[in-house]
Amino acid sequence: MSDDFEKNLRDHLHREAEETREFPRRLRGRIRDGIAPRARARMAPQLALAGALVLVAIAVLAFRNPTIINVVTTSIKGLIEPSPSPTPQPFLCQDQSGGSSSVATLTNIRAASHAGDGYDRIVFDFTGAIPSWDLTRQESPTFVRDASGQQVTLDGSAGLKLAFRGADVYAPTGPAGSTPGGPPTDLQPRLTSIREIAQIGNFEHQLTYGIGLSSSQCVRVLQLTNSRLVIDVATSGSASTTAAPTPLPTQPAATDLGAFGCLDHSGGTNSGPAMQLTAVRVAHQTGFDRIVFEFAPQAGATAHIPAYTVSRQASAKFVKDPSGLPVTMRGSAGLRIVFHGASGATSYSGSRDQIVNLPVVQEVEQLGDFEAVLSWGAGLSQPSCIRTLELPNPTRLVIDVQTP
Amino acid sequence: MLMDPAFGRVIARWREGDRDAFEEVVDRYGLQLLRTARLILRDEALAEDAIQETFLKAWQRIGSLHDEDPGPWLTRIAMNESISTYRRRHRFQALTERFGRLGGGKHGVSSEARLDLAHALDQLTAEQRAAVALHYYQDLSVEETAQALEVPIDTVKSRLKTGLRRLRELTGSEEASA
Repeated sequence: MSDDFEKNLRDHLHREAEETREFPRRLRGRIRDGIAPRARARMAPQLALAGALVLVAIAVLAFRNPTIINVVTTSIKGLIEPSPSPTPQPFLCQDQSGGSSSVATLTNIRAASHAGDGYDRIVFDFTGAIPSWDLTRQESPTFVRDASGQQVTLDGSAGLKLAFRGADVYAPTGPAGSTPGGPPTDLQPRLTSIREIAQIGNFEHQLTYGIGLSSSQCVRVLQLTNSRLVIDVATSGSASTTAAPTPLPTQPAATDLGAFGCLDHSGGTNSGPAMQLTAVRVAHQTGFDRIVFEFAPQAGATAHIPAYTVSRQASAKFVKDPSGLPVTMRGSAGLRIVFHGASGATSYSGSRDQIVNLPVVQEVEQLGDFEAVLSWGAGLSQPSCIRTLELPNPTRLVIDVQTP
Repeated sequence: MLMDPAFGRVIARWREGDRDAFEEVVDRYGLQLLRTARLILRDEALAEDAIQETFLKAWQRIGSLHDEDPGPWLTRIAMNESISTYRRRHRFQALTERFGRLGGGKHGVSSEARLDLAHALDQLTAEQRAAVALHYYQDLSVEETAQALEVPIDTVKSRLKTGLRRLRELTGSEEASA
């Protein structure tokens, strides 16, 4: 009888424990925040003491050898002035990416004109290393908000999208929803090139900014010491500027399906029970590679395309949701496809990592399926324009990726 | 305990301050530690606090992890944190438990007051629940449970014996088995 009781106890403990189905995303985030490098302000007393000791040492040396002053002032200049790039970097008229897979916190955003040098500058300040980033150029200042899918149009006539993976925003204590003292969510410097900078996404450590430009311009990105990412945008008149990417001429057969756009796309609706992912297919057709996500409604529910965003990015690096682990797919550019109100956990039995090696689409992989947020990534051989089609019977989202 | 070489490399990266490697460790051990903490603390938010502290301490104290599987080491930290968290948050309850014990030896439970196992577990001390959770949920031996709780083996035996007797009383299983 004692054995029965212990068996019941063991069974009960397992049942009770399994009520916690997954390691909560919020707890993972709290731990991640806890191990992030601390703000330098906490070391202020120690730094002040160290600085005082250095000054005393310099005074003693200067008393013995006055030429030391020149050496010291030169060194200090080197420390306080923005460190120049080892070799002058050109302005590039193409998408760019960089950074590391570390976790960082954005503390400030600044913008200023460098009219004399022919560019406007934005500086993103981080604590910790500069996180993985990619910068995509687009032909309009309209962006898709991550994760709502709403469109937002900034000041200007062209745009840059800057996405950071593994990044949070510094948010000092304040009323819910506000970040007093944190970086601005919408900055309108109204400079020659840079017109507006707005946060368009802060979701699962993917932090995204849209930058409205007066016209399509080339860009230089510098990763400076003290975890600063600098975006220099050429001002008009520069000989090096070329337009942001525009769609290639489409084949006549494809014209009926709608135009390609070098912009992020969104659509669908987030209503009713989560739609069930049943198939993911990838194939090449004349002029484009096609990715199809097929869905079925739950029993008794109405079929609909779940709310989605398709975001272009300048690298094939992604972050898994909710683990936050980095994943790199084949290719040099990417698409991030996020559905809200969808899941494939029980309905999808196909491959969650398809290596297809088509002209542009190289790989398609599931990035997350958690709390009815389903995300996939696509690795592309080159930055490409896209179009999306919402089709019924069966319910499908079709993403066509333009091929050369 | 020996580690597989691939995971050994993850630990080595963690020692070098690689936060991605540390998050792999969180992924590997986090859920079971959280479940165990919740069994002890009987409260989801408190369990999350305890496990957050566990991993933050582990991050800081990686130097004290020798060439071994980090599982038992993390469990030791998690058990300390869980019991400390319980004590901090339930000082008043701890006092009432103490007065209750002073008030008189064996608590009989009438048939009307029989509890289900979940509520009966609520009535144990945090130390008893920790022993019960490690032994009956994590399936650790008495010796391993003693190591995880950093107490002598006889203390674990006593906590298990007292805890089980109390659970039987509270659920009426003693009567049923008589």
